[in-house]
Amino acid sequence: MKVTAQPTADTLTLLLDGELDASSAIVLDTELAKPDILDYRKVLIDCAKLSYISSAGLGVFISHLQRFQDAHVKLVFFNMQEKVFNVFEILGLDALMTIVPTATEAEAA
Amino acid sequence: MPIERLCRCSGLVHLCYSWFYSVPKRLLFSLLPFSLLTWVLLLLSALSHSGAEPWLGNWPQWTTQLTQAAFVLSVFLYYRYQPSPLQGQAFVKLLRRLLLGPGLLALACVGLHLLERQAKDEPIFSGNSLFFTCIYTLNLGLFVIFLARTNYAWRALVLFRSSARLQREWTLFEMMLGATLLFRLVGVNPPDYIGIPIVVLLGLYGIYLSGHQKWVAYLSQRDKWNAVLLQAGLLFGVLVFVQYFRVTQVDPQLIAPKPQYAFLLLTAFFSAFYALMGLLVTFFNMPIADIIEQRRNEILRLQRLTQIIQRGQTSAEVYNILLESAVQTVQAEAAWLDLDPGHAGIDAAEATYYYNLAPNQVNVLRELLKGHELPEGEFITNDLNLRPGFAGMPQAFRSLLQLPLRGLHYNYGMLHLLKAEPHTFDREDLSILQTFTSQAVLSIENLELVHTSLENQRTQEELKIASQVQDSLIPKNLPTDNWFEISSHSLAAKEVGGDFYDFLHLPGRRLAVIIGDVSGKGVTAAFHMAQMKGIFHSLMQENPLAKNERDKFPVPSRFMTQANTALAHCLEKSCFITSSLYIIDYEQGGFVFARAGHCHTLYYHALREEVFYFESTGLGLGIIRNDTYEKHIKNQFYDYSPGDVMVIYTDGIVEARGEGGAEYGEDRLKLRLEETYFQNAEEIKSFILRDLNAFTHGFPIHDDQTLLVIKFKSAQPPQ
Repeated sequence: MKVTAQPTADTLTLLLDGELDASSAIVLDTELAKPDILDYRKVLIDCAKLSYISSAGLGVFISHLQRFQDAHVKLVFFNMQEKVFNVFEILGLDALMTIVPTATEAEAA
Repeated sequence: MPIERLCRCSGLVHLCYSWFYSVPKRLLFSLLPFSLLTWVLLLLSALSHSGAEPWLGNWPQWTTQLTQAAFVLSVFLYYRYQPSPLQGQAFVKLLRRLLLGPGLLALACVGLHLLERQAKDEPIFSGNSLFFTCIYTLNLGLFVIFLARTNYAWRALVLFRSSARLQREWTLFEMMLGATLLFRLVGVNPPDYIGIPIVVLLGLYGIYLSGHQKWVAYLSQRDKWNAVLLQAGLLFGVLVFVQYFRVTQVDPQLIAPKPQYAFLLLTAFFSAFYALMGLLVTFFNMPIADIIEQRRNEILRLQRLTQIIQRGQTSAEVYNILLESAVQTVQAEAAWLDLDPGHAGIDAAEATYYYNLAPNQVNVLRELLKGHELPEGEFITNDLNLRPGFAGMPQAFRSLLQLPLRGLHYNYGMLHLLKAEPHTFDREDLSILQTFTSQAVLSIENLELVHTSLENQRTQEELKIASQVQDSLIPKNLPTDNWFEISSHSLAAKEVGGDFYDFLHLPGRRLAVIIGDVSGKGVTAAFHMAQMKGIFHSLMQENPLAKNERDKFPVPSRFMTQANTALAHCLEKSCFITSSLYIIDYEQGGFVFARAGHCHTLYYHALREEVFYFESTGLGLGIIRNDTYEKHIKNQFYDYSPGDVMVIYTDGIVEARGEGGAEYGEDRLKLRLEETYFQNAEEIKSFILRDLNAFTHGFPIHDDQTLLVIKFKSAQPPQ
């Protein structure tokens, strides 16, 4: 799995490419655990190329959820494939996290 | 290689070649009597020519030539096919036996010659060539034997650890010598302008072969002196013979035939030259013998270190051998080895190993060295006495070599070697000792590896126990009643897993069924699974303060909220649990359930003859760890009819991977239920599992799998 960070003035976009499982979750966790990530107003997660997410992958987002909320950093997912969205939905995360269809909506969110 | 090509081109040579290697055994046994016979014939022939014994008549000239050639050939062949005179690396023994055997013959030859000279002046022998001829022929015989023995002793030395190519070259040399003998035999006397170059060429070839003195390198210092003396003796022996034949050749009394000039001359030349070369090589090797011997000892010590690894000794032994080998190699007068207490390796009894030093002396030295701020790594100082503090030492060491025991991840310790003389350690010493230390570190790391693998084995055993314990947490006796059937299946991806399910009978003809899946796998998940089971049983207790019957036990959504609160304190941050709780009331023919992020329940509705998934919302446990969780979980009520089937499972079933990474999926599961809803619970479960196994055949299970099938039956009155 590959994580590419694209920072702009107040937004950080993370492109996820591949399968997010227990081993690749560490890469993402390192990225999200960086202290300066909380300086952004928004963190957008581009899931266009995310083909699979395991419970360990979900765990990474869940573990940082509270921290982002406390720092008032908005976490927005977009371009999510249906299969991946189902996983979020079954777990009930769609009610908890902002998941939008496209980049435009993500930027507007 | 031109010589080889020459060998290959000529068919005749090739024939000789093969003949050389395959002399029949029987022929070998007859060689000794044959050579004796030819010698006697040679003597008789010589006597006949000398005219000393008129009764012998006058034999033709060729008989002498023939018998002589036959004698030379048989003696050479006899020695050729004897077992190699060199046993192992007993070079000195070989030389000594050569000198004491054929070498003494040379002395006898001299004696006989002198005797003959003495006797010649006596009137009684005057003009009598009988005695002269006899002695001459005897000497010739001795000379041939001496040359043959020397020649084949040299062969053994030349071919010591040689290549196949050199062996072929040697055989060619023998064959060329044999050819000169053959020419003599047929009486061909080539003119000088052909004969001399041939002899010179052969001589040069002999010089080339004499260059092979590999064996000298294997002599120890003392053996080298012995070898020099013995070779000088042999050289002397050959020269005595050659001188003898030089003198007698021009003797007016010599009526006997000339010896096989070319052949004997060449062989004698080769024998003498080889002895001379050997002597010189040995002699000039003398100064470096020490170094060679030292290198050999280093190799031996290194071998010993290596063997220690294979025998699986303790680290203490490895350190001892390292210290001992290091001291011997650089001839240090004192040494100590400090080990890092953190990484000294297992079962290293002491932290310091001493050689020729007392612990208190080392303490003093250590303190002194500390003050000089030596570098961390390898270091040589050859003027320790010039450094302040060292001058007044009782044992004045002037040279110090320090070397760390460098491992892959850390240093195991530091080796210190001391000598009294200044300027005695050099880079060379350091590099040899580095080989030793790296070998020792390898041994230590190897021992640790063995230790770790034993530990691993123990861990495996413990995991097996954990697996048994977990197995006991999964209900073995499924609840039975005539209102429903339950069938279950559970399989962990590793020894222990994070899936669980349980049942609990509640008063009022109700049954609680719970299924859950802890995120992640293995031991962590198994711990949380056990916690969840505990939470289930403690929360499903009767509340005595409840106002009505229905409130005595928590409804599923209430249960999930309470479980979420309980788990908030013990779940890891990135860990969560999905779960569904069903409370089936079979008196009322209905059930209530809450889904906390768990997989959707698959349901067959008998009246509508329809298979569907319950669509309900609900958040997993441990995701929100505050009071707001309550808002994210809901109860759902449903009335069932007889014949309805409920399939409850974990994501290990629907996310199981098959060909090309495809997932089993909810749709496929639904199809299977549509095909089997009319069967009993056990049959439905087996059918689904068979299909799942066919789908995932040949691919590893990467998540725990749990499957429960509940089939409701016609309501019957309680018994």
